[in-house]
Amino acid sequence: MAWPANQAGSKDKAIPVKFIPSAYLPATLPYLCRNLFMNWRHFIILLQKEFLLEFRQRYAISGIVLYVFSMIFVVYIASAKADISPKIWNVLFWLVVLFASINAVVKSFVQESGARQLYYYQLAEPVMLLLSKIVYNTLLLLVLSSLSFVTYSVVAGNPVKDAGLFWLTLLLGSLGFSIAFTFISSIAAKANNSATLMAILSFPVILPILLTLTNLSKFALGLMPPLATYDRDIINLLAIDGILVTLTFVLFPFIWKD
Amino acid sequence: MWWKILSVVLVLYALSIGLLIPLKPGVVRVSPETATTGQALTLQVFGYNSYFSKSEPGQIRVWLEYDSSRATAAQTIKVLNDTTLEASFQLPPYLPKGEKSTLLTAIVDHPTDGVSLLPNALKLIQDTAFLKSGASVSSMVSDSAWTLQPIDNLHVIKDFSFPYRNVIYESIRNTYYHVPMWFVLMFLFIASVWYSIRYLGKPDPDFDRKAAGYAETGLLFGFLGLFTGMVWANYAWGKPWSNDIKQLMTAVALLIYLAYFILRRSFDEPEKGARLAAVYNIFAFASLIPLLYIVPRMFASLHPGATGNPAFGSEDLDNTMRAVFYPSILGWTLLGFWIASLRIRYQRLHDRSHGLD
Repeated sequence: MAWPANQAGSKDKAIPVKFIPSAYLPATLPYLCRNLFMNWRHFIILLQKEFLLEFRQRYAISGIVLYVFSMIFVVYIASAKADISPKIWNVLFWLVVLFASINAVVKSFVQESGARQLYYYQLAEPVMLLLSKIVYNTLLLLVLSSLSFVTYSVVAGNPVKDAGLFWLTLLLGSLGFSIAFTFISSIAAKANNSATLMAILSFPVILPILLTLTNLSKFALGLMPPLATYDRDIINLLAIDGILVTLTFVLFPFIWKD
Repeated sequence: MWWKILSVVLVLYALSIGLLIPLKPGVVRVSPETATTGQALTLQVFGYNSYFSKSEPGQIRVWLEYDSSRATAAQTIKVLNDTTLEASFQLPPYLPKGEKSTLLTAIVDHPTDGVSLLPNALKLIQDTAFLKSGASVSSMVSDSAWTLQPIDNLHVIKDFSFPYRNVIYESIRNTYYHVPMWFVLMFLFIASVWYSIRYLGKPDPDFDRKAAGYAETGLLFGFLGLFTGMVWANYAWGKPWSNDIKQLMTAVALLIYLAYFILRRSFDEPEKGARLAAVYNIFAFASLIPLLYIVPRMFASLHPGATGNPAFGSEDLDNTMRAVFYPSILGWTLLGFWIASLRIRYQRLHDRSHGLD
């Protein structure tokens, strides 16, 4: 099964493809589902590959873990070891998670050489490749943010009142960060100054997610007025995630073919 | 061609009519601002754009309104000049519902200017000396003191003038210049995304030029909207930047598009840069929707219509304002597309002369 964009973009073959957006975009979701159903083995293999790669390059993940630890201590010591109020705790925690996430995800496309990417391109559907990376990065970020939470609680105290909600926030946060950062890193990896580009491209895009997350974790910390409810925030977050994930799957094949 | 002329005509119309038409008369403030019940009060009322001396002194009426059915009227009125008058009240001894204090609305009505009012003009405090002499307040409250002088026969003047609003006064005219900037920005960004989508379908450099040109012009209008907003905020909120959620989200939206231009130029091959920029443009536009329409609903804002409404409600505009506001949007939009088309033509010629096309 051919992804329609593969033909549309190739110059040398010069197959004239008439571009009809109304016929093109709505067809994407059924295509995705069919693709997922038929190629789930690709997905499993690619996911295994991600884990294997991480295991072989243990220094990379160790580096990120060390980064998280150092950052938490720097944050705590820079705040002059003052009693960190729950409000400030919330802000600092999400900053730590944000920077840890961006550093953990940026390598997902940069680390593999162009030749190897060409090899993947011939073997796998681009959508499956992206999906495996997103799922892998979500798990990675979930581990990293749990680690940050545990370390941060040891150093700066644990003001969390509603643990269940807080872990849900962490899960949703990892998912949102993973979708946005994985996609942006696939763009940034194509450029020469990928680290700078990664930051400037992703920070504005991640902001709605970050705002909703800090809001949600304020509920978990008991900082909200007693009658306020958080259903709206969760729905907003899922809606933003939904928009982003649909877009990344539609747009990724265009980045991938080179 | 016709739409270029139309844009100039409409923008000139919005500029001239929007700046020249006067505001309706209003009440700026009253003095003193607090009083106690039972007092003989001489209230100075300061008008704005008002012509008190054009009406016969007997025709001017002033009330202090408690609610729609309760008010107390001035007994004598002395006009000092066109914008100042003195109204003498004999305030009732008790507040209607036995409160300790309440805020009253000042209402001025006369044939020349029509009716104008100032909400929360006067704080009326219950005089405790009355309370000591008798039993509980509720038994002594008599409604008749407040309902004897109803507000009626108000004069409504129909002419072409903009509504008077306290706090913003003349700056209400900025509605015709600040708000259309956001409409133009949205239209231009939609055009930009449209050409980015087309570029992904068919990699024609012309689509890329168009996407970039519309985004650049949209960014220009974004900055104009931000600056006109800051001028307005400096006047109405006291400082140009108050970290209002809409100001913040707008700044972030502009950052997204600045990042788009950085991305465009950070590739050696123009074709690759154009393709990735097109992808990012679509992605950025989709994340602009939550930034501008979902997030601002979650937080309190200083903007009008803050809760649940991204811009302002229909009650914020009256028909005179609509007669300038809608042509202004159309005019600025056409002007925006004109600027963008010039930018695109310039870029096309530039690319041709450098052999990039």
